[in-house]
Amino acid sequence: MVTASSKSEEAMLRIVHWIAESWMFIAFFAGFLLFWEFSIGFFNVPLYILTPPSMIVTKAWADLPRLFAYTYVTGLETILGYIVAIVMALPLGLAIAFSSILKRTIYPFFVTIEMVPKIAFAPIFISWLGFGLLPKVIIVFLVCFFPIVLNAILAFNSLSEELQRFSRSTGAGVWQTFIKIRLPAALPQCFVGFKYAGLNATVGAAIAEFIGSDQGLGFYIQITTGNMRPELAFAGIFFLTAIGLVLFGIITLAERLLIPWHISIRRAQS
Amino acid sequence: MEGGRSAFHFCFRERTGQMTGLIELKGVTKTYGAGSSAVHAFGPVSLDISEGEFISFLGPSGCGKSTLMLMIAGLLDVSAGTIALAGKDVHGPQTDIGIMFQDNTLVPWRTVRGNVELQLEMRGISLDQQADHITSLLQSVRLEDFSERHPFELSGGMQQRAAFCQAMVHNPKIVLLDEPLGKLDAMTREHIRADLQRLWMQTRSTVIFVTHSIEEAVQLSSKVAVITPRPGKIETIIDIDLPFPRDLNVKNSPKFIRYVRDIQEIFHGYGVI
Repeated sequence: MVTASSKSEEAMLRIVHWIAESWMFIAFFAGFLLFWEFSIGFFNVPLYILTPPSMIVTKAWADLPRLFAYTYVTGLETILGYIVAIVMALPLGLAIAFSSILKRTIYPFFVTIEMVPKIAFAPIFISWLGFGLLPKVIIVFLVCFFPIVLNAILAFNSLSEELQRFSRSTGAGVWQTFIKIRLPAALPQCFVGFKYAGLNATVGAAIAEFIGSDQGLGFYIQITTGNMRPELAFAGIFFLTAIGLVLFGIITLAERLLIPWHISIRRAQS
Repeated sequence: MEGGRSAFHFCFRERTGQMTGLIELKGVTKTYGAGSSAVHAFGPVSLDISEGEFISFLGPSGCGKSTLMLMIAGLLDVSAGTIALAGKDVHGPQTDIGIMFQDNTLVPWRTVRGNVELQLEMRGISLDQQADHITSLLQSVRLEDFSERHPFELSGGMQQRAAFCQAMVHNPKIVLLDEPLGKLDAMTREHIRADLQRLWMQTRSTVIFVTHSIEEAVQLSSKVAVITPRPGKIETIIDIDLPFPRDLNVKNSPKFIRYVRDIQEIFHGYGVI
């Protein structure tokens, strides 16, 4: 039996274990930053090409209000596009999984579109819809939608034959079978799609902003680079990464809460 | 060799429908595909199973014994012939039986108790009055201390015991077990066989037990249906006239060993072993 004290001991042990496992990486990363910091002066790299990391921190600090404002803009585009993608892709994936007509029509269509780099549509959407929020949300949506819908179709189609037979042998209705068996069994594969989409969401937002915008972190990175301010561009990249990490963190947390029983979660925790 | 076989009253029962059992099979055949590419997989098989019988479908892998079991459960359609349970023809899934599938149907997101409850929930049976029943069921297979564990925390043998509880919790009169011990090690198998026999002696439900182990079939069954390979057919049905429980003494008795040897000879004749 696991008691409270042994649980906190376990947590301590895990931290000690993590440090023991990753001290080499920590040392390497610190060394990398130090090398960057001092090689700029040593090799006489002009500051309009590359600045030392310490300068990125101080200059970004001075421009923090703008960075925060743009992080909000880009974050909103990312989250909206991502949520709309999930809300539309899951029911559609479910419908395709259980409809032989949709499976012969929409499914191959989606597989084909998945081959197209969605980012290539960005200029078209921006020329249609202008510089505002909507075209960015649509592009994030496009980038996220396909991995989620394709994984959802796979998820809802891969219930084991035994569990299908078990359900039928109980005489349970479609809804009962869905809630108690199909849905929970499909969640792990759905999360594969959620995670893949989450990793690509900020990429979609940033590129959409590169192409046409007057605010947001993509816009910021482009403008500061044009103004020979690489330290601010790096700060923009840092904040863009932060958006991606927060999104991915939320997805991972949701995964742990919803499917703690799944092998991938159990392996990560042991 | 043939003479030895007849000494043990093998019952050849090609019945034609005059006798009625709890489960009646008439000319049951399974064919996959159609036209010239059709594969004749199984049958025709006719068989009556009476109430309270423990009958094993014994045969090599691929002989269609699982197919036959699934057809009795109404989970696979027969290509020809009829199956009747308690006088009613089987069309579509039968919900008043208990089935244990080859791969167990424990779901990883529920505990052992939750998995047993799943069977009731799927049937729309309220759990209110069932707690004691489930507890005693888990006790009967010595799982009471593991009821809040998840399937992945259990050994293979414990998982099969839990799956057995899941298949039995709604008190089915007919129980179909499809190689429930197939993936277990020899010692665990032996142990669970004894449990199965004890539980069957208590409930005397009608059991169809699919297996490829001759010894297992002889130990557990009141009757053994010997199924020969491709296309699967019932070669013979043997009444196992040995006292229950079939403990080590019974298993070491000359009579038990003769049953096993006779069946081995049938399979040997078909080149299976």
